[in-house]
Amino acid sequence: MLFSRATTLLASTLATFGAVANAKDIELDWTVRWKTVNPDGLKERQVVSINDQFPLPVLRGNKGDRMIITVHNQLENPVRNSSIHFHGMYQNHTNHMDGPPNVCQCDSPPNSSFVYNFTLDQDGTYWYHTHTSESYPDGYRQIMLIDEDEPPFEYDEELSFTMSDWYHELNEIITKDDFLTLYNPTGAEPVPQSLLINDTIQPKFLVKPNTTYRLRIANTGAFSGFIFYITGHNFTIVEADGVYTDPAEASSVYIAAAQRYSVLFTTGPDTNTSYQFVQVADSSLYDVIPDDLRLNNTAWFVTDETAECSDLSREDIYNNKDLWKDPTEDIALDDFTSEDIAYFDDFTLVPSDHMPLLPDPDQEFTVKVVLTNLLDGVNYAFFNDITYTHAKVPTLYTVISAPDDETASNGTIYGADTHPYVLEHLNVVQLVLNNFDSGSHPFHLHGHHFQAIVRAESLGGSDSDYYPYDPSTQNVTFPEFPMRRDTLVVKPYSHFVIRWVADNPGVWFFHCHIEWHLTQGLALLFVEAPTQMRQIYTNIIPQSHWDSCTANQVPVKGNAAANTENFFDLNGQNMQQKDLPAGFTARGIVALVFSCVCAFVGMGFLIWYGLSDTPDQLAAEAEHFVHDEEVPSENDIDNQSDLNDQPFRNERGKRFTDRLRRPFGHRSSDDN
Amino acid sequence: MTQVFLIDVFIICFRESIEAAVIIAVLLSFVKQSFGGPGMDRKAYKRLLWHIWLGSLTGLIVCLIIGGAFIGAFYGLNNDIWGSSEDLWEGILSVIASVMITIMGLGMLRINKMKAKWRLKISQAILEDDEEDPLAKHLTWGQRLKNLNPVNFRFSKFGRWTRKYALFLLPFVTTLREGIEAVVFVGGVGLGQPAQAFPLSVILGLICGLAFGYALYFFSSSVSLKYFMIFSTCLLYLIAAGLFSRSVWYLQMNTFSKQTGGDVAEGGAGPGTYNIKQVVWHVNCCNPEMNNNGWGIFNALFGWQNTATYGSVLSYNAYWIFIMLIICVMQYEEKTGKLPIIGRFWKRKHVSDDEINELYNRAQLTAQRKLGNAGDVHAEDLTPTSSSLDKDLSEKKVVDTSVSSHSA
Repeated sequence: MLFSRATTLLASTLATFGAVANAKDIELDWTVRWKTVNPDGLKERQVVSINDQFPLPVLRGNKGDRMIITVHNQLENPVRNSSIHFHGMYQNHTNHMDGPPNVCQCDSPPNSSFVYNFTLDQDGTYWYHTHTSESYPDGYRQIMLIDEDEPPFEYDEELSFTMSDWYHELNEIITKDDFLTLYNPTGAEPVPQSLLINDTIQPKFLVKPNTTYRLRIANTGAFSGFIFYITGHNFTIVEADGVYTDPAEASSVYIAAAQRYSVLFTTGPDTNTSYQFVQVADSSLYDVIPDDLRLNNTAWFVTDETAECSDLSREDIYNNKDLWKDPTEDIALDDFTSEDIAYFDDFTLVPSDHMPLLPDPDQEFTVKVVLTNLLDGVNYAFFNDITYTHAKVPTLYTVISAPDDETASNGTIYGADTHPYVLEHLNVVQLVLNNFDSGSHPFHLHGHHFQAIVRAESLGGSDSDYYPYDPSTQNVTFPEFPMRRDTLVVKPYSHFVIRWVADNPGVWFFHCHIEWHLTQGLALLFVEAPTQMRQIYTNIIPQSHWDSCTANQVPVKGNAAANTENFFDLNGQNMQQKDLPAGFTARGIVALVFSCVCAFVGMGFLIWYGLSDTPDQLAAEAEHFVHDEEVPSENDIDNQSDLNDQPFRNERGKRFTDRLRRPFGHRSSDDN
Repeated sequence: MTQVFLIDVFIICFRESIEAAVIIAVLLSFVKQSFGGPGMDRKAYKRLLWHIWLGSLTGLIVCLIIGGAFIGAFYGLNNDIWGSSEDLWEGILSVIASVMITIMGLGMLRINKMKAKWRLKISQAILEDDEEDPLAKHLTWGQRLKNLNPVNFRFSKFGRWTRKYALFLLPFVTTLREGIEAVVFVGGVGLGQPAQAFPLSVILGLICGLAFGYALYFFSSSVSLKYFMIFSTCLLYLIAAGLFSRSVWYLQMNTFSKQTGGDVAEGGAGPGTYNIKQVVWHVNCCNPEMNNNGWGIFNALFGWQNTATYGSVLSYNAYWIFIMLIICVMQYEEKTGKLPIIGRFWKRKHVSDDEINELYNRAQLTAQRKLGNAGDVHAEDLTPTSSSLDKDLSEKKVVDTSVSSHSA
């Protein structure tokens, strides 16, 4: 019997919990180092561990608690920086604890310590992961559960799950060798080697009959979206991304990378039974589906240990492809894809607080998502032709080191390719995102829950199906109580529109939560209320944050180019690769012209050679005859009857002379 | 993309059928001159004409059968092996086609030389057999060895029958030879192309070639014919240069394709379909491999690619420079009779037009004597002539069979 470690993490949380008055400090001391494990039973590999634990510790607290986490980076072989983003946290007044390096902090190098100190202002299901590039798929991520005072639903027990994809190589190596290279011009995302639930496969959980369970699920994967369902049973969605919703009945749910859900599931009265909680990868995201990739994984809920369920070891399961079937139906894996499963439309969810649609926006931005190549041949991802290239100074530090509020409110100082949008305090902000790419993307906004007010369906799958948002031609009705979340999927060749209130001063990253696309630069920055930010943050950045910058030799003052004198002088800022030339460059024109000239000169030579052909053979023959032999007289030629009696010589003479006029014209004398 | 016409195949068939037509034309006029004149042996003339046409047609049919079987068997056996590494095959086959066109192309500008060569060959074929003919004795052993090609195969070995049907065998062997040559070339060029692309190209090539040969027979010194030859040769070399460049392009593409794990096969015209590091120009339009956009014709004719690499541009120019050099060498050789530099050490002997004519006349006499029905009458009359020619010839140092620089 194989029971997941995660089961030990279950807290039998009662719906009625202690009051906020009991808010406490949760102090944690985390040492992060490499550990070799084999989560899928297929391959041992290095993963990131915390205090030698893998899977990483589940972070748990009550709303109002203060988290004080000291992270000691011991990732030395290979050397790896560290940072932690607490995904979904508003981090109101603690923007510097948000995590993304070069935005809100500096990467913390090996043998340094970094302190995260923030208050849990919200409840629900979240997760934490490193925001250092090319890192979190190495296992540096875990679910984070914040318990609520009075959730608007009732349940008896709780189970929490992470669902993720899993690679057998270090993320850094995949990125360098297979992904961001000249030899991956289409930007095909690396396909994982297996799927994990709670960092293992086929975990088992003991459940009681006649009990309502709150299943808290986070997709902590790097790339894949999953569809989950419980075979033969419906469940009730009550939370999405930390936002409680009116109960919504569903049989299956799509959970994109970085999204979370809570669903209520009530077990039946049977005491000797099992339930299959199935995870199926959205295979439409994969360019190729390798033969040895199992596209589903099941967690077993058993009412007692003798209940019928898979008793096979992980190795057995992988060695027996017959078991790779969807347990619900007897369909072989080959025929069974995620596209066959209808899933719940999360756009229809209604927040339980019934917060109404925000008013018309004060600020509106439209961005276009495109993936294409730049001059180095690598495939990059773009918002409006900008692939995110981080500033030399973490943008938060640029805000506070700017000489005055006016300068800080000018977006140019944050750099061109960081793609900053400056938001005014308390404005209603609307972002229109048009996806011109053939893939779906889960977009995540730091520091906010936004209202999802439009999400269009995909019109199809070809380049001609671009489908930008245009309220003047499209029949758009916004929902009365729009769904709020922090990670929203845009469909292929489609769009979404989101709104939020700029009530949280800070520098907030907005990016695709497919780790590959973030590495490709599918990100931009919202510099929200810089004036208010300067009041809040100027003197509160802790020393461990500055120390990281010193250790990494990252400047902490100045504009995006680290220029402290003139904030509008951006010489030396980090820039993205140059565009590919659109058509013929000077080089191309020279080459083409030279080739044409060469071809014409060559043909000139051919013409010269052709015109200097040896003189007509027969003319020469006749001439030879005329000069060397007796010349036939006109008489001979005209006198046909004479010719008939002439010996051979004269006959030939006539013909050759004839042929002087019409060479090879053998008919001239003979056939009449 | 269903391709129903292959320009390379067309050109090869065109070229080979022209050569066959030239030979038949030379044979026809040989017979005409020897037997077709007034008061000459009409019966023998008709019989020999019949021999020539029958021989040509039989040769053509046999080689069509062989060619059909060859290509049919090839496609039957190897239908699938191309797809997996299409770029590699495109590259290899393009370079083969380019080399073939290059070799055969310049010969087309020397139609007269070609005719002279065949007149010489026919004369020798007939004379060699005639042991009494003094000219045959001028052939050295080396020259005889050289002549051991199917056309002037030693008739004596076949005895009386072959002697009697020499004018059947000559065109038969000729068309067969040219035909098989064409089959081999067509096979080389067209491999990897859809089988349905062959019939139209081959048949059109044959028809055009024969029409051309017919024109040649009647209007051989017509200036417009010469211009046509020049024009078509230019076209031919544009194609060959394009093919050469294309082959380099495809080989590079194959390498890149392998490095990307076949990802570029997703194709399209945009970024990501080519190796940016090697590119000289790239335009997102005009991809010749996309369906139905006409640029495929430019690709076939001039080797156009919307993405040019250093390799493809350099090879294109290198090809033309090579052709220019070859032409210079050939011109030099034609003017001075020797090759530059190596000509000091090795000199090819020319057969002058006069010598060819004399051989030709001699062959006519021999043919009248040996092939005619009542040849003896004429042979009697002609004896003095031949002996006077003997005298002339014995003073000269004759005869290299090779007419400079052309190879069939």
